[in-house]
Amino acid sequence: MEPSGNEFLRGTLKTIVLKLLTERGRMYGYEITQSVKERTQGEVILTFGALYPVLHKLQQEGLLITESVEVDGRLRKYYTLTPSGNEMAHQKVSDFERFVEVMKALLQPVPALSLGH
Amino acid sequence: MEKLNPQQVEILYRHLVWNGTDEALFEELLDHLACEVEHYMWIGLPFETALEKVQLEANAKAVKHLRKTYQIELTMNEEQLRKADLDDIVFQFRNKAYGAYDLRQEYRNSLRTALLMTVGMVLMMMALLTTVSTGKWTYLSVWGLVWTVGLLSFSYAVGTCIRQRIQQRYRIVR
Repeated sequence: MEPSGNEFLRGTLKTIVLKLLTERGRMYGYEITQSVKERTQGEVILTFGALYPVLHKLQQEGLLITESVEVDGRLRKYYTLTPSGNEMAHQKVSDFERFVEVMKALLQPVPALSLGH
Repeated sequence: MEKLNPQQVEILYRHLVWNGTDEALFEELLDHLACEVEHYMWIGLPFETALEKVQLEANAKAVKHLRKTYQIELTMNEEQLRKADLDDIVFQFRNKAYGAYDLRQEYRNSLRTALLMTVGMVLMMMALLTTVSTGKWTYLSVWGLVWTVGLLSFSYAVGTCIRQRIQQRYRIVR
C-alpha cells in the first residue's frame, strides 16, 4: 500500500488485531502479520514496529491476555481475547463499518443540486 | 518447514542485543525474526541470504522506531501519572531490577533507621559515661531514663534493619 495508506492504517490497527483474534482465538505476533498479509494479498504489511506496541497496549488495557509457550527452543507469546476484549472487538468492528459507510458517502460525487431553475 | 537451530537463533539474538532492543519486547521480537528467517528459507533462500534480508529489515533504525512507538503507546495514563511518584516516572522503561530503583524506594526507611540507631547509641553512651563518672546507678533517675530511651530506639532500629534485610532477600529470591 502507498505511504498514505499507512496513515489510514495506524488508526485501524487495534480494530484489525481484535477482529483477527475473534476469528482465530489464539495467535502470536508473526502469525498476525502473516494473516493480514495473506488476506489482503500483500496490500497491507504490518511491520513489527507497528504491531507489538499495539498488542502490548491492548494487553495493558486488559483486552488481551498472553501465554508464553516454548516452541522449537524459543519462547512464543500467544495472545487471546478477554471477555471485555471480545466486546471491544465487536464494538470496534461495527464502529469501523459505520465509518467506512460515512466515508463512502463523503467520497461519492455529489449530484448537481441546482436543478429547480 | 525449515527450523532454525540454536546457533542460528543465537545470531539473531546478538543482532537484537546489538541494536538495543527493549527488554519487554525481546523474546517476542526474537521469535518474530526467527519466524521470518524460517519463512524465507521455506520459500527457497539459503540461510545466509534469509538472515541478511531479515537483519536488513530489522536494522537499528527500525528497532529504535519500535522502541519509540512502544514508549509513546504504553506510557502512563493520566490516572497512573497522578498516583505515580518521582521514582516511577524516572524509572519507567528503565531497568528496575538493577538496584537503583530499590535503593531510592528504600531511602526514607534507611535514613530513619540509621538516625534512630545513632541517636540511641549516643543516648546510651551518655548514660554510661555519666554512671561511670558518678559511680551511682539507678533506673529511677534522669540518666536511667536516658539509658532506657536510648536502648529502646537502638533496638527498634536494629529490628527494623533486620526485617528489611529479610524482606529484601525474599523479594530477590522471588
